[in-house]
Amino acid sequence: MIPLAVSLDALSTADFWIGVGVLAGTYAIFTLGLQLNVGFTGIINFGQAGFMAIGAYAMGILVVEAGWSMWLALPAAIAIAMLAGVLIGLPSLRLRADYFAIATIALAEIIRYTAQNARGLTGGNQGLLGFDDQWLDVSDTILGWLPEAWQGQFLLPLLIVVWLTALVLTGLLIALQRSPWGRVLRAIREDQDAARALGKNVFAYKLQSIALAAALGAIAGWFLALNLSFLHPTSFEPQFTFIGFTILVLGGLGSYVGVMVASLLLWALLEATRFIDLPLAAEKVAALRFVIVGVALILLVAFRPQGLLGKRQEMVLHD
Amino acid sequence: MTDGAILAVRDVVKRFGGVAAVDGASFDVRRGSITALIGPNGAGKTTLFNVVTGFAHADGGDVVYEGRSIRGRPAHAIARRGLVRTFQITKALAAMPVLDNMTVAAPRQPGEHLPLLVARPLAARRREREVRARARELLARFGLEGKADEYAGTLSGGQRKLLELARALMAEPRLVLLDEPMAGVNLTLGATLLAHVHALRDEQGTTFLLIEHDMEVVMGHSDRVVCMAQGRVIADGAPEAVRTDPRVIDAYLGAVAG
Repeated sequence: MIPLAVSLDALSTADFWIGVGVLAGTYAIFTLGLQLNVGFTGIINFGQAGFMAIGAYAMGILVVEAGWSMWLALPAAIAIAMLAGVLIGLPSLRLRADYFAIATIALAEIIRYTAQNARGLTGGNQGLLGFDDQWLDVSDTILGWLPEAWQGQFLLPLLIVVWLTALVLTGLLIALQRSPWGRVLRAIREDQDAARALGKNVFAYKLQSIALAAALGAIAGWFLALNLSFLHPTSFEPQFTFIGFTILVLGGLGSYVGVMVASLLLWALLEATRFIDLPLAAEKVAALRFVIVGVALILLVAFRPQGLLGKRQEMVLHD
Repeated sequence: MTDGAILAVRDVVKRFGGVAAVDGASFDVRRGSITALIGPNGAGKTTLFNVVTGFAHADGGDVVYEGRSIRGRPAHAIARRGLVRTFQITKALAAMPVLDNMTVAAPRQPGEHLPLLVARPLAARRREREVRARARELLARFGLEGKADEYAGTLSGGQRKLLELARALMAEPRLVLLDEPMAGVNLTLGATLLAHVHALRDEQGTTFLLIEHDMEVVMGHSDRVVCMAQGRVIADGAPEAVRTDPRVIDAYLGAVAG
């Protein structure tokens, strides 16, 4: 027996790659927010999974409990996440960067525990179901446009919509980054006192950065919800924020395109390692996947700190 | 506030715990002057700069700029009113090109505000063209035009000082506070920097207040000298008068001896 054989059958199916593609697109959008904060503003946001949870649960609750149309619930979920971003930023963004980082991780945990315990609203550990009827109609319509051979792939419409959204958002963010607004953000990342001395309201820009990141997290939250058709607090554990950070480092700080590429690569790796054929118990194989990702991340930071598409020169320059 | 003063510092107090770094300092800066702020280490000069520019909040007294109190105003708001500072340790925006270091400092760019960026993209683009032209002009003036597209982090220490002064000028200041502009700068670059200060004052009437330790620079290039020691102003007048003031000599000799 070959000890490290991967059952290639699973990897060659369309199901597998469509599943990977949806996850990769969702976490690409999720990580665009981290790139805006960490890569371009210099603020550390450890609470992105919390904003994702807000986006997903706000949408789900508004549809299921309040009877809203999904089309209204989607923008409302973004607005609620942005509001949460501003509320966490107001007291903590004036402090040193590490305080803000701690505040965001606390916010994300508060949201997750609330989702787990506010059973009347969120279904708690039973989960929340039945918010995606309107999406399924859209999905069927899109499937109808596709060639007959693909119509069995019921996740294909979600894959298309997720990646269209990811690409449009990437384009918008790149345009923003090249605007005078983006230039102020980079100045803040480089030296916030210099930015203040030049008349820039650093605090207001940081608030905008976190609010936009929260919006991106919320959009990722919609897609996660539509992908799972079922919301459960375990989908929003802090480790998902760190998967985002892994994508960020892999793609390279300061590159939005890097986020897209790295998300695809990481999720292909993470999902493919599910099929590692080892004489081990299933839960050990599951743990091993994260060990592999961790080792890959350590090697990356050691040998290619700028990631796939980051600029090495920008990492070594300092005052 | 005397006539013709652009800045008046009145009984400013700034404490850190029990220590008063600035302990009731008062002086005026005349419009269109080059005023030097001198004093031994620990006299409170940089702290006073921080208070004037909004980087620290005064515990007492007042700062009047262009006839209005700016005490307690945020740093960015003070800078926008034309009171712009540099730092003792240069703050080049290292991982940004030199040109971006300049353009980011320009005021009145609607493209820096998200709603305006979306609503008036053409106005932002028009302003951007003006700003770039102005930035290139200033870079040329400071001999940095060849560096426009390099990362600011690749500049030498002296070039960073020049860039910081040029960048401060992009903000269209009426009063520039320079914190030790000559420190770490070679003689040639230093002379260039001083020549720029004089030229800007003469051409545009820009006022300069600078912290400086080099007495030759202070005596040769300032119209007025303010000397601080232990948080207070101990002398304020023409360079020659301050240099020969026994309290000033005492403060410096005391600092050396102590």
